[in-house]
Amino acid sequence: QNLKCVTHNLRKMICAWDVSSKERHGQTDFCYTTNDLPPPVCFRTKEKRVEIPVPESSTMVTITTNSIYGTAFATKEFEIHQKDISFVPLTPRILSFTPDFSTSTLNLKWSDNGSVFPYGLGAFWQIQILRKEAMEKVTQVTYYSKLTHEDIILSWNWTSDMPLECTSHYVKIRYYINATQFVGPKDWSDWSPVEEVPGKDTEPNGSGVFPQDTVVAVGSDVTICCVHEEGQQIQRMTYGPEIYPMIHLSSRSSAIRVLNASASDTSGTNVVCILSEDEMDGTVLFVGYAPDIPQNLSCETSNFLIIKCTWKPGRPSGLYGKRRTKYSLFERISGKNVSCEVNEMNRERVCGFPVLADQKTYDFILGVSNPIGQAESSLLVDLTQRVRPKTPEKLTVSGNSSTSVRLHWFINGSFAEIRLLCQIEISSGHSERKLHNVSVPGGKFSTYTAQLNGLNPYTKYQFRVRCLAADHFWRWSDWSRREQHTTLEA
Amino acid sequence: MAAADSPSAALRRRDLCSRGIRLAGKMRSDVVDLLDTYVERQGLDASASVAAVEGVPVAAAERWDEQTGTQRLLENLAAYRAFRALLAQMLEEQREQLGEADAALGRALAAVLLQVSAFTYHLEELLRLESRGPPSEEGAGPPPLPHLGLFERKLRGLGVLRELAQWAVRSARDLRQLAKPGPGSGSAPSLAESP
Repeated sequence: QNLKCVTHNLRKMICAWDVSSKERHGQTDFCYTTNDLPPPVCFRTKEKRVEIPVPESSTMVTITTNSIYGTAFATKEFEIHQKDISFVPLTPRILSFTPDFSTSTLNLKWSDNGSVFPYGLGAFWQIQILRKEAMEKVTQVTYYSKLTHEDIILSWNWTSDMPLECTSHYVKIRYYINATQFVGPKDWSDWSPVEEVPGKDTEPNGSGVFPQDTVVAVGSDVTICCVHEEGQQIQRMTYGPEIYPMIHLSSRSSAIRVLNASASDTSGTNVVCILSEDEMDGTVLFVGYAPDIPQNLSCETSNFLIIKCTWKPGRPSGLYGKRRTKYSLFERISGKNVSCEVNEMNRERVCGFPVLADQKTYDFILGVSNPIGQAESSLLVDLTQRVRPKTPEKLTVSGNSSTSVRLHWFINGSFAEIRLLCQIEISSGHSERKLHNVSVPGGKFSTYTAQLNGLNPYTKYQFRVRCLAADHFWRWSDWSRREQHTTLEA
Repeated sequence: MAAADSPSAALRRRDLCSRGIRLAGKMRSDVVDLLDTYVERQGLDASASVAAVEGVPVAAAERWDEQTGTQRLLENLAAYRAFRALLAQMLEEQREQLGEADAALGRALAAVLLQVSAFTYHLEELLRLESRGPPSEEGAGPPPLPHLGLFERKLRGLGVLRELAQWAVRSARDLRQLAKPGPGSGSAPSLAESP
């Protein structure tokens, strides 16, 4: 009685039946037809189950039970239709279940066993993550894949909301094949055996507070756990100045959950686990901001040797020292990359990049990154249009006439490829200041001169000078220091 | 029994002792201020109990009264050499962890380190008055910093500063002991004898 057939791969099925106690010891003659076509295939078996092909529509089965002496007891015929055959995939096989403690991520790899199935079937995988001593279900996801008549290794990642050190994490999977052409009842496979990533609360010297000295973004929800030795009790766990309610994970591990974490002080927020006999363990959590996209990126050169880029950093990250925001300047055309030394405490941001021989255009990407995130800003500049000469130095005024003088000044820089426009400010006493422009060919670390005529005799004048690139107005240099001179008497 | 000091050596030692006592007093008040700043800037609980920190010599001394002057100086020297190295470690960590962010704490740490170095030199000077002179420093550096989490390092720093504050008190008492004139001889006994 009760002949039941199950297939695990849609090609073969296992049929099993019951016999009365009298017939249990004898052999059985089993015959079946393939796709309703005689002659039947027959064989003798001691088992109470056989594996035969799955019929396309139906198959006739004849079962004759015999006594231990070989005499036939009873014969029964069954017609098995496909709709009577259950399709239950075999229990899946997990290949690996590995942790990445730094990101609290679990990676699961398993074989889809696709080679046993016809091509192109869809498979639904249920993956269950469990946790704690009580193996409570944390999450269950359904993952879809296409079977390709080959054994494909599938991979899936899951990031825990708590450090993996805190307690053991487990996984199990099962799957369902969406064989629409198969008319019989279909069911999920059995769950795979459970795989485990053990927590530190299972290790002899595993105690500690986790995560250890990590960085999270402001607004994050963070779980911090205290793993202690067997027999120890946690009196309380504090986050900064506050005591937090504890979540029991196992006999050696408890956690607190900090919601919407606010920015920490410069030295981080202490998370302290106070154990019995005043023992203490702890960690430091740094809560800060990802870097803002740098604003107002601007690059210029004052000497055609170094390009100076400046920008506005935006909101401070709240992270310092080795966790501070780091800056690098990458120039796409030359492929050259420069890391910038920036003092987190002062607002001005500057980075120097060498002027490259025979390169006029620079395609800059300012990269900004810290442990929480990164951002970038880009700028394309024609360097000849971004010249802001250094402040003219060593201004001297000479003249041995009553109405004209000659000025000399030095500019530190190499401007041989451009012309400079310099502006001389002439002031004397209470009269109105006059500006005199003079265009000079740029030089390499040169001294420049200009002649001023039309001055008043025996008059005390003050002169100062500033310059800019004549071909492309960008920015004036600063004014030089003033230099005084009195013209000769007429 | 070591020969009694010459008058000039005794005078020199008494001068060094009294200057050392003043230095120890200043160091103590600066360390106490630094402790307050440190606790506050590191977000610690001022009442936190800290286990003995490996590599930090303990200020409390058994049978303190029976120590000879040389023993006092040698123990002081060993302690301050250790503190000099430990404070340098703390300063290095401070820069690594916070960079420019907490310059005030960094400056206060550097100032105390300077005082500890000066006091160490002072002790070496006192020992030079003895024929033997101060022991060399080879291999006397602090034990390598075990891999500690940041919180443990914060606690360790707290332990170092607390112990240093205790040592500053003990050093002043030691130096006062050394500065005491000998019984009836009108001049202070040499270091070896003075209890």
